[in-house]
Amino acid sequence: MRGAWQVFTKELRDALRDRRTLLTVLLSSMAVGPLLLVALSMLVADIEASAEARDVYAVGLDAAPTLANYIARQAWAVHPAPPDHEQALVARRFEHPVLVVPPDFERDLAAGITPELLLLSAGANQRAEGSAGSVAALLQGFNQEQATLRLVLRGVPPAALQAVRIQRRDLGDSRARAAQFMRLLPFFVLMAVLYGALHAALDTTAGERERGSLEPLLMTPQPRWALALGKWGAVAAVGMGVAVLACGGFLPGQWLLRSEALSAMFQFGLRELALFLAVLLPLAALLAALLMAVAIRCRSFKEAQASTTVVVLAASLLPLLTSFNGGGEQPWHLWLPALAQITLMQRVLEGGALGPADVLLPVLVAALGTALCLASVVRQLRTAAWR
Amino acid sequence: MIVVEALAKQFAQGHGRRRRVVPAVQAVSFVAADGCITGLLGPNGAGKTTTLRMIAGLLRPDAGRITVAGIDVALQPQAVQARLGVLSDARGLYPRLTARENIVYYGRLHGLPRARAEARATLLAGMLDMAPLLDRRTEGFSQGERMKTALARALVHDPSHIVLDEPTNGLDVLATRGLREALRRLRDDAGKCIIFSSHIMQEVERLCDQVVVVAGGRSVAEGTVPALLARTGLRDFEACFVQLAFGNPTVGNPGGLVD
Repeated sequence: MRGAWQVFTKELRDALRDRRTLLTVLLSSMAVGPLLLVALSMLVADIEASAEARDVYAVGLDAAPTLANYIARQAWAVHPAPPDHEQALVARRFEHPVLVVPPDFERDLAAGITPELLLLSAGANQRAEGSAGSVAALLQGFNQEQATLRLVLRGVPPAALQAVRIQRRDLGDSRARAAQFMRLLPFFVLMAVLYGALHAALDTTAGERERGSLEPLLMTPQPRWALALGKWGAVAAVGMGVAVLACGGFLPGQWLLRSEALSAMFQFGLRELALFLAVLLPLAALLAALLMAVAIRCRSFKEAQASTTVVVLAASLLPLLTSFNGGGEQPWHLWLPALAQITLMQRVLEGGALGPADVLLPVLVAALGTALCLASVVRQLRTAAWR
Repeated sequence: MIVVEALAKQFAQGHGRRRRVVPAVQAVSFVAADGCITGLLGPNGAGKTTTLRMIAGLLRPDAGRITVAGIDVALQPQAVQARLGVLSDARGLYPRLTARENIVYYGRLHGLPRARAEARATLLAGMLDMAPLLDRRTEGFSQGERMKTALARALVHDPSHIVLDEPTNGLDVLATRGLREALRRLRDDAGKCIIFSSHIMQEVERLCDQVVVVAGGRSVAEGTVPALLARTGLRDFEACFVQLAFGNPTVGNPGGLVD
């Protein structure tokens, strides 16, 4: 074990002296939490603002005083649409739907002829499309009011037109709603851990081979398992350090939240931090061993970078399974590394239950995977130096 | 003492139909005595490096036996590695560590306490004339500086047996002289058993007490330089080597003159 410790301390010292790489990894991993939170909160704040905005952009509304009166009574503000609104909507320069009122609107309405209102938006203009629904609902309200008045004038009770009443109730709690926006966070944390361990794993295996220092190392009387264990320990420590920094970044990151609703819904305290780390640290250990097992087969750093792309790709794609799978969370998700961690972190953010068995299963899978990958590294070390 | 008996090693290249077997070493035997510098002399591809890697326990021979200080390498590779100081063909250093840290790291891997490893690093730096380099990071070291650091690293645990694979490759005249002097001192003062592989005649002629000529994966001759010259009846050691290795002293010399 003393040999493994010597290798571990040397590899860690070596990794820590690679200041430029270390700085890039640490800054990006520390910044990932706060930056994501700021970006998401800006997005949510924007959505909140546009949901709360009661603005209608119209053309020809001056010729429709009844409709203008209704809109004013609903506390909506009317703004004139720009003259080139059609081109602007298509080019996404203007992000509000435009209501076009025909010149004969008032006369037709009074005569009982159904006037046609035009609500303009563009399919590719997402913000205009998003607001078009609320403007349409506003106009539907006007329609309803006019119909009700006509029925009342004819002595028909308005309830005769209403066979059913629809009431919507959102059963998701505030944290689950917040988790919709936070779905990206666990993914980015996982990627930070992966990229944090990547450089150290490559340098300690393929890098060692390329610079010709592996052969002298294998001529020392240390058993190969001690060399592999020491190297893995250092790579895993770097990956775990990145995990701690990336997750820890969410604590101060919360203060930067610009959306009040999101700020109230996103609760990331010490308990959540501890759960995130309980989930992520075993994965960091597995990723370190897996990256080393892939890289030790490569003759150069460059070749190893190309080979480990497969690992990076797999770790990026596995979490997407939850998006493709309409059935929601499945029991087998916890058996797959990366997907299990994403699932559990998501559950933590949603405030869902996380039992010891839920955490233990991915830990056992990660431990088994780590052992297998390390065995492969030890086996490869035998031939890697001279092949 | 290092005893090598009927060593053989072959490598497989390619897979499936393209698989072919390349014999690297076919029959190499020699004895390297203590207090003696034994030169392994052979052309490129003769099997010198493969033989040294088998002595160092890095490769397992297909046939034959190697003992170092009476210990069988195949049976107790780690015990042999503890007694060996190997300057191999690959002599890469850790560029972000200082020369001292590189040397001490290997000392620690050989089981030396930190203080002893540090003291050995300082001692070897004096011996190899590299004291000013000791606390500099090895990144940017010249070829000679790298070789000295690698040699100090190989000797940090004060091994009784030293194996050097073409140590003068890339060294200038002064560095080569310095290395020769250091090896002589290790032989004369400490009675080390040193194996030195090279394909440079002058180097072997000037330094080695005993020469083993290796060609085509076989040891074809063994003896002192005067004995080998006497055996071929030639006065020039280069011609003598070509005669022993290839069976004809004029190989590679179209003029046909050998002396």
